[in-house]
Amino acid sequence: MSNNDILDMYIYETNTLLEQLESIVLDAEKENTFSQDNVNEIFRIMHTIKGSSAMMEFDTLARVSHRIEDMFFLIREGTMSVVKEEDRPALFDVMLHSVDYFREEMEKVEAEQPLNEDVDSFLGNINSLIAKIKGEEIPAEEAPKAAPAPAAAPAPAAAAEPAPTQTTEGNADFPYELRVFFDEGCGMENLRAFMLVTSVQGFCADGDFSYQPAGVESDSSLSEFVIEHGFLLQFRSEADRVRAVPVVMSAGSVHSYEERNYVPAPPAAAEPASAPEAAPSAQKAPAAPAAQASAAAQQHQGQGQKESLISVGLSKLDQLSAIVGEIVITEAMVTASPDLKGLHLDAFSKSARQLRKLTDELQDVSMSLRMIPVSNTFQKMNRIVRDMCKKLNKQVKLTLVGEDTEVDKTIVDSIGDPIMHMVRNSMDHGIEENVEDRIAAGKDPVGEILLSAQDTGSEVIIQISDDGAGVNDEAVLAKAIRNGIASPDVEYSHKEILNFLMAPGFSTNTQVTEFSGRGVGMDVVKSGVESLGGSVSITSEQGKGMTTIMRIPLTMAIMDGMEVSVGSSIFTIPINNIRSSIKLTEADILHDSVNGEMVKMLDGYYPVIRARDFYNLPGGVEKIEEGILMWLESGDCSYCLFVDELLGEQQIVVKPLPAYVNNFDIKNYGITGCSILGDGNISIILDAGGLYAAARNM
Amino acid sequence: MSNENVLFQVEDDELERSVQEDEGAGSRKHLIFTVDDLKIGIDAEQVVEIQNSYTVTYLPMMPDYILGIFNMRGQIIPIMDIRLRLGKLPTEENILIVIDYNNNQLGIRVDSVDLMLDIPMESIVPIPSQSTQKLVSGMCTLPDGSGTMLVLDCEQLIAHGYGD
Repeated sequence: MSNNDILDMYIYETNTLLEQLESIVLDAEKENTFSQDNVNEIFRIMHTIKGSSAMMEFDTLARVSHRIEDMFFLIREGTMSVVKEEDRPALFDVMLHSVDYFREEMEKVEAEQPLNEDVDSFLGNINSLIAKIKGEEIPAEEAPKAAPAPAAAPAPAAAAEPAPTQTTEGNADFPYELRVFFDEGCGMENLRAFMLVTSVQGFCADGDFSYQPAGVESDSSLSEFVIEHGFLLQFRSEADRVRAVPVVMSAGSVHSYEERNYVPAPPAAAEPASAPEAAPSAQKAPAAPAAQASAAAQQHQGQGQKESLISVGLSKLDQLSAIVGEIVITEAMVTASPDLKGLHLDAFSKSARQLRKLTDELQDVSMSLRMIPVSNTFQKMNRIVRDMCKKLNKQVKLTLVGEDTEVDKTIVDSIGDPIMHMVRNSMDHGIEENVEDRIAAGKDPVGEILLSAQDTGSEVIIQISDDGAGVNDEAVLAKAIRNGIASPDVEYSHKEILNFLMAPGFSTNTQVTEFSGRGVGMDVVKSGVESLGGSVSITSEQGKGMTTIMRIPLTMAIMDGMEVSVGSSIFTIPINNIRSSIKLTEADILHDSVNGEMVKMLDGYYPVIRARDFYNLPGGVEKIEEGILMWLESGDCSYCLFVDELLGEQQIVVKPLPAYVNNFDIKNYGITGCSILGDGNISIILDAGGLYAAARNM
Repeated sequence: MSNENVLFQVEDDELERSVQEDEGAGSRKHLIFTVDDLKIGIDAEQVVEIQNSYTVTYLPMMPDYILGIFNMRGQIIPIMDIRLRLGKLPTEENILIVIDYNNNQLGIRVDSVDLMLDIPMESIVPIPSQSTQKLVSGMCTLPDGSGTMLVLDCEQLIAHGYGD
């Protein structure tokens, strides 16, 4: 592993932990308490971040995470009841701030920028919270140290300072010793020793213990001393030492420890000392493993999770799926080779079937590798809604639907920003300013934002709706005219007016707020989604709220499709959209007043669209009885598509159309992508909904 | 699909070499092809390969000069008939030059591919402004004296269609 790999790993791991942390805190905030499991989890997360940050020599990060760990140590020991009701909001705020802080720092680490050294005020916040939890008045001891300390006066280091000075006065003050030896060759013994000190500080006041050698946090040359002589912790009371043992044992890379009681008289000391030594270690031995077992069990759990996941570069996955795609095609080329026509090859067909099965499986697996649920992106919105509720003093709840919907990684990455914009917009512009307005309109005083994801087989539909005031057409139009987007002489339809919202440089809020209203936003959403080959539409009814629907094609997906032919062209229709296929005769076709064709089926009348005429295809049958009708359904549209012939069902790899071709708005005609067939030819994938919409507009 | 259909493929290292040479000589390799008696040159760096056997899949709802798409070893590449693009009558010829301009790949159907030539950059002059010739960024007299070459403007060729 090169240094860079380690750094990447560190960033990845820390970010994952932060995400986990954020969701725990957000959930806990709703309950207004941390469950013991949560506390343990946060403790573990902070412990990991602290350890790895110290390892990577990001001292400030290690310090901050250390203090948070301290705080949760207290909470873990005393359960949530040690945190008074009135302090809880502060606790949640501090936790969320720290998530933000770590994220910012991670970005800096990634960009190789220097980290923010001035964390003292932030540490001060944590320290005063710790003081409150401990039930102390905010003491002069910590607050001033944290706040006015100008530059690099690290709080933990400062706190640790009085200890070494006291050691020189004599060990008699700290008669209960604990000598710790680390695993051989574990490296950075001095830092590990310091981590022990900081964990001990979690439950033991600074004046009540001491350690040798001093200065381990900054002097790495002391590592050798620690390796040779062990690291000596000295306690004033035996009770503290008893508490220290499990902490020491659960710390990383500790090889062994020994307990010794210091007796001042030097010459006689050796013999009596050895007796008590035997006693406590015999006594403590059973106790320690018990405490250790629970800690170990926890760690095991964490470790198990980690090991079942590995991170792989996206480019490797791309490469893999490209190759697998080729294999599937090549397999079909081999087994359907024209050279084999007329031959009767039993063994060959058997192996070919086996091969087919395996390649199918391989393809399924390789496709699923890139699929991740949208839940992470959705969960992030919880945080945004929470922060904005506080800031804007609105009461809004966020409802998530379909979080488990799995979509391609690239899509997940790129829908985050558009969704965030929309949620912010709903929070800022959508939900009414005053609760009274909502009550007067007969709505629940608590606003609702609904965020949903749905996989239709050919596309993902992300819907963001709020039950706020909706779009005021006149205000939007007036604004559009002011901004020169609309012309005052033209009459615009409701739909056109809504489209102004997505024009560049449009923002209905007269004031620029922190969250939205910079005039970018909706147009960014639009261009973001369109760059994925998708589309955005807005519907709104004044007084009822607004709904934004993003439709994003599954660019990289595997799909079950039915292949049909029209003339010499081959089309693939997603199986999910097909209700049935029917052979009819000319007599079954009904005509409407404008010579549109319809058929009557089961419960109603459905329009007929002839693919040949709609797409102006060369060739293709004309008589209804010579072709076949495909009854298609997508969303709320249902119709029959007339094609020549059914070629068969096939699993296909969806390939996006070349960017050049997409410039011609081809997706507005219901063509979403293409797929390479077994013989190397290309079939065009139809989007049943898009085709119907296009046909209706013609 | 198979390599035997590939008449010519620009090798990466060959490219680098030619670029290095070019910097000294101030000239660039151009691939020259014929369309309806016009000699048109294209910067060889933008040429991916030349194909003479491919299957066109018709793509509906496109302008007539987009003949469709084809499958080049798993990549889907649109095909443009440059004759139709320039408003000329189509022919039976079907040599395809696949170009890559800023990661946009496009197959151009031409009458025939002639040769590769080093064109000194200073010999390329802008076309006279009254000329209505589309998709051409400059012209030059060929060093071997065989005529005049128009320089194809790939940017215009590919960018066109945006907003159409």
